[in-house]
Amino acid sequence: MNRPSPAPTASAEKAEGLIIGKDMGTPSDRRTPEEASASATKARRVKLIRPPSLSPVHCFRSLASLTQYVDLLLTLSLHRLKVRYKQSLLGWAWALLQPLALMAIYTVIFSMVTKVPSEGLPYPVFVYAALLPWAYFSNALTASASSLVTHQQLITKVYFPREILPLSYVAVGVVDFLVASTVLAGLMIYHHVAITANALYLVPILLVETAFIIGLSLLLAAIQVDFRDVGLAMPLLLQLWMFASPVVYPLAQVPARLRGVYLLNPMAGIVENFRRVLLQGRPPDFESLNTAALISFLFLPLAYLYFKAREATMADVI
Amino acid sequence: MTIDLKLDGVYKRYRIKQAETDPRSAMGFVRRIRSRFLHRQDFWAVSDLNFEVPRGQALGVIGHNGAGKSTVLKLVSSITAPTRGEITIQGRVAALLEVGSGFHPELTGRENIFLSGAILGMRRKEIHANLDSIIDFAEIRPFIDVPVKRYSSGMYVRLGFSIAAHLNPDVLLLDEVLAVGDSAFQQKCIQRILELKHRSITIVFISHDLSAVERLCDRVLVMQRGNVIFDGGTGESIAHYRSLGQFQARSMVNPLAGVREAEITSLAFLDGEGNTASSLLTGAPLRARIGYVAHERIPAAGFSLFFWGLDTRLHCQFSTFLSGPRLDLGPGPGMVEFSCEELGLQPGVYVVDVNMERLGKAENLDYQSRCATIQVSAGKRVRGEFFSPHSWRMLEQGKAR
Repeated sequence: MNRPSPAPTASAEKAEGLIIGKDMGTPSDRRTPEEASASATKARRVKLIRPPSLSPVHCFRSLASLTQYVDLLLTLSLHRLKVRYKQSLLGWAWALLQPLALMAIYTVIFSMVTKVPSEGLPYPVFVYAALLPWAYFSNALTASASSLVTHQQLITKVYFPREILPLSYVAVGVVDFLVASTVLAGLMIYHHVAITANALYLVPILLVETAFIIGLSLLLAAIQVDFRDVGLAMPLLLQLWMFASPVVYPLAQVPARLRGVYLLNPMAGIVENFRRVLLQGRPPDFESLNTAALISFLFLPLAYLYFKAREATMADVI
Repeated sequence: MTIDLKLDGVYKRYRIKQAETDPRSAMGFVRRIRSRFLHRQDFWAVSDLNFEVPRGQALGVIGHNGAGKSTVLKLVSSITAPTRGEITIQGRVAALLEVGSGFHPELTGRENIFLSGAILGMRRKEIHANLDSIIDFAEIRPFIDVPVKRYSSGMYVRLGFSIAAHLNPDVLLLDEVLAVGDSAFQQKCIQRILELKHRSITIVFISHDLSAVERLCDRVLVMQRGNVIFDGGTGESIAHYRSLGQFQARSMVNPLAGVREAEITSLAFLDGEGNTASSLLTGAPLRARIGYVAHERIPAAGFSLFFWGLDTRLHCQFSTFLSGPRLDLGPGPGMVEFSCEELGLQPGVYVVDVNMERLGKAENLDYQSRCATIQVSAGKRVRGEFFSPHSWRMLEQGKAR
């Protein structure tokens, strides 16, 4: 393969050796089997399989190996999007229909039946701007928490890092989020809500939210392999959780003495600040955003550690 | 010599859950919680495995069901982790434990190539590069843009194998995958695997199809109850495996009926001359002998043999109660012989179940499933699903000049 270069700087001995080799009729670019296998070994990745353990080193290694599976993650995520609306009449409209329907219901209840303050904003815009990050959280979490259980067949027959499955659902959640955002843009234009430079804070806010979703997905998906109760409890849990987050009401309505406890829910800081930087054009409330970021970024590595330790024997119990 | 795969003191324990208790009762709930954490039965699927596979070797692993063969593949392919020990692999591994992994019925053949290929570890680039070759190998070009739910089962498995055949691994793990498609496609699969072998790819092949093992493997491990009991050349290992006898020791207690009243002890196939046969011919005579022990008198007994194809279809049944006298068995050992003048099974591999039952009660005294594997080779070559013994005579004919 590597033909020695006949550069003039090559030593006389080497050049001579090359000539002798040619004279003997040995093709210079063909290696003996020993050489071939020795150099192939160098290039080959050595994989060591050991009993499972809760080790951060193992975690880092698998995180590094995840780069090889980017293609799989992309393919699977695209596949989910492609398959979801096959043989459905409304197709992609469903991604819009769900948040719109919720917006309509909450508008009727919380601005007509009973009056909830909406910080001077038209209630539909106020609630939709919170439903958007909330729906991302709730849909991505529901789908990814059962992702391992719904792919039993794959898990017992093929190996790939199992976190790819929940991650592919989170990726789908991002796409749904973007689709549903177009409605918010329309609502903001219609109600003349101006956007300011503070809207750039959406990027870190969404990063915090995504980190939290991934962490929680990994944890719940891994637990559900043993206990299907997780999947059964999800709808109820999410319903309660939504009312424990400032979706239909503003954070300002939460009594000050409860605020400390209330903010332990990262979704509180995320939803509130999402709405605040976008609709009110104010800088984020750093107390709530920092709490959410701190919890999310501490939680994610711990959840990953747990997931990787459980991964090793998932195929046995699923 | 480079070692591509090395197992060093590998053990695998499975925890068996206790039988589910009634979820409605309060005690059942407590018991379920307890059984989650306390009362789990251990089962060692493999214990103390030590072997090495040098580069370019094709290693076969054979053994009865439950011997731990599939566990070996699952461990090496990282599907599940060992309980103890260490496995070292050099290079890229591809494992084929089923055909059509990750296929989605709604997607077209082409879309599924990308999906399944990605799941099996191919990059998009590689799949693009091999797309035509995959489609041609599977012989499904006219249907490539049709959803796979409209495929025939043959097309489905051909596509599945074709994707796997285009993986480019350093170490290839195969589990019974040759049991797909018609015999022409099976030949093609074997050809493909032999090609990979010539490219110095290390192969671990698990199969009940001894003839395929014989063609593909350089070395064979015989496993029994989680251990390697024989490690040698293909011929010796297969001979050793055959000498093991096909019967696993069973407990004398039938969990359903208390103490077993009777049990099957042996099964042998003989050819027309009465010699033991392991390979049989379509259209040739066949005799099958079932040995049994009755522990008490059984006034109305029946024996059956079931021949299952590797496609898991039941191809044929032999029974004592379709014709002939009624069997009234006294206590003690005995033997029944079935004989068949012209075997109707077409060439292929069949897995045989033996059943001994009490007639009139629909109660099985003993059912030995998958207790023998036989290979039927082409004797009388006929086309069709099966060979039906027949005779013929001339009724009318033009006068010969």
